[in-house]
Amino acid sequence: MDRITSRAGRRFVHFVLLSFTVYSLVPFIWTGMQSFKTVKDAFSRTPLLLFEPTLQNYQDVWIRRVPENAEAIGLGILLAAVVLVGLLLTARSLPINDRLVYGFCLAGFGLLLWAIPQLIYMQKFYDYFINTLIVTAFTITISISIGCLAGYSLARYAGLAAVVILIAALAFRALPRLAFVLPYYWIGSLLNLLDTGLLVVVSLVAVNQPFTIWMLRSFFMEVPKDLEESAMVDGANRLQSFLRVIVPVAWPGIISTALFTLLLAYNEFLLVRVLTQSNWTLPVAISRYTGNESADEITLAAAASVSATLPIIVVILYFQKHLVKGLSAGAVKG
Amino acid sequence: MKRDTFFAFASPSVAIMLLLMVVPLAIAIWLGFHYMTFRNIAAPEFVGLRNYSDVLSDPRFWRSFNFTALYTAIVVPSWVVIGFIIALFLDQVSGFVRGVYMSIFLLPFITVPIIATIMFKQLWEPSGLLTWLYQQFTSTRFRMNETSVKTLIVFFGIWYVTPFTIVVYFAGLQTLPQEMIEAASIDGAGRLQKIRHIVIPYVSSLTVFILLFSIMDSYRVFDSVYVLSGLNPQFKADTVMTYTFATAVQVQRLGKANAMAILTVIGIMVVLVPFLRLMYKEQIAER
Repeated sequence: MDRITSRAGRRFVHFVLLSFTVYSLVPFIWTGMQSFKTVKDAFSRTPLLLFEPTLQNYQDVWIRRVPENAEAIGLGILLAAVVLVGLLLTARSLPINDRLVYGFCLAGFGLLLWAIPQLIYMQKFYDYFINTLIVTAFTITISISIGCLAGYSLARYAGLAAVVILIAALAFRALPRLAFVLPYYWIGSLLNLLDTGLLVVVSLVAVNQPFTIWMLRSFFMEVPKDLEESAMVDGANRLQSFLRVIVPVAWPGIISTALFTLLLAYNEFLLVRVLTQSNWTLPVAISRYTGNESADEITLAAAASVSATLPIIVVILYFQKHLVKGLSAGAVKG
Repeated sequence: MKRDTFFAFASPSVAIMLLLMVVPLAIAIWLGFHYMTFRNIAAPEFVGLRNYSDVLSDPRFWRSFNFTALYTAIVVPSWVVIGFIIALFLDQVSGFVRGVYMSIFLLPFITVPIIATIMFKQLWEPSGLLTWLYQQFTSTRFRMNETSVKTLIVFFGIWYVTPFTIVVYFAGLQTLPQEMIEAASIDGAGRLQKIRHIVIPYVSSLTVFILLFSIMDSYRVFDSVYVLSGLNPQFKADTVMTYTFATAVQVQRLGKANAMAILTVIGIMVVLVPFLRLMYKEQIAER
């Protein structure tokens, strides 16, 4: 559309956008504030906008007992994390092969996450956090690997079978989770797999597969056919040309899809709630904080919510372009 | 691509969908004909259609169906209208400012639904910010009852999903051909006329897409209701999904819950089949 140019008009545009900003942010800001309040401040009859912030709630959510040399340990962990993040962000401009750097950082983060509970006596919340990371990582890896193969073949094969699979996948995407989750529960209890990460990961991969293959297919369709044909003329077989030529070209689309898989796995509540008893991921663990109305639970729930939301927001904002691209790709291509 | 290569590439994904979607659906149908609780999980007892007649004569099921329908009827048009309007405004700014607005508007949508609901609910706790504002303006006490819980569920639904429609419409507006707008300007059309006669018809295919997915998603609403109503029957705020869940987990009637899930599947299919046929024809024509 053409731009509004009048001064009053511009003001109106910004007024509307700022109002919507406030509307979008209010729950985040309020919860953020509550998470830094003492229980007494959080329960004040008139909402306190100015208060003395405390980190007690975060400490209560994460740490069971503070060790004596807490400051030294905390500083060490923080330093290690800063170095690793710094390496990640500068990997491209370092003189070393960046895959090596990424691998090193991944190993470093793994080691750090493993070391923390050895040094500090952590709450169960930390276990749920690690659980969520593991479930999400496995779901993304499996889902995207098999989804890429299927999405690519669906983009290239013109037979009837491809159309039938696509339409069936669309139908399954529309069905309610519970229609699958209750049978999973039944199968899981017969096979003694309830409360295992395996059942959760496999179920998550399955229920998200229809969405994944549709989205990946739409990205693979954008890759020109000549690319793999010329690679195949040069003697590569289908799989080689796919891995070496197509995947690098379609990589941004694959990242977009991985981002959505990340959200779906990290967000999943119902499936995890039914299939696990104690081996929870964060959404199920946090929902426990709101069950009853006891006093300190509001501030704890606030601190837990902020803790679980921050990592995902950082990741998403970093990859925001891919997310927006994915949303609009799905839309434009149905 | 040859047929064999296609099947080789697609088989892992197809296998997992057959094994973990088609088979479970068949199991769900089978379980729907059985009486099963957590006690006789290994040996369900066959009861024929009794679960289905139980469901269809259960007033709480119909109440939850009605609330789900009401929720859909309010929330879906709100997503479309608010999303479209905000996308139009977002289209008026550019560059860095637009990026910042976009990031902020997306926040609700990328937050874990359960957590977003908890954050939303914090505003309405007895010591919450909006509770206080509400009491200042109406000088009545705000308390959780049937009306307020249902209203909060609807408001949350609108707040949470609107970012999605904003992004979709915004992406659509970026592809709007400039010549169409210029031609209309030369003909002397005003801004509202342009929106009405050019922009809205131009994005109509997006609207159909949004409507379809919104209706399916709002029909499946679960997480926000779980948090806001706490599945407390006193609020009468069940949706079909939460009632199915409560039947399975709280009342432990797994067979009846499966029957309910199957009824939902049938209901969704009735809506979906015409669309699927359309897609099928489109895909056949495209290949």
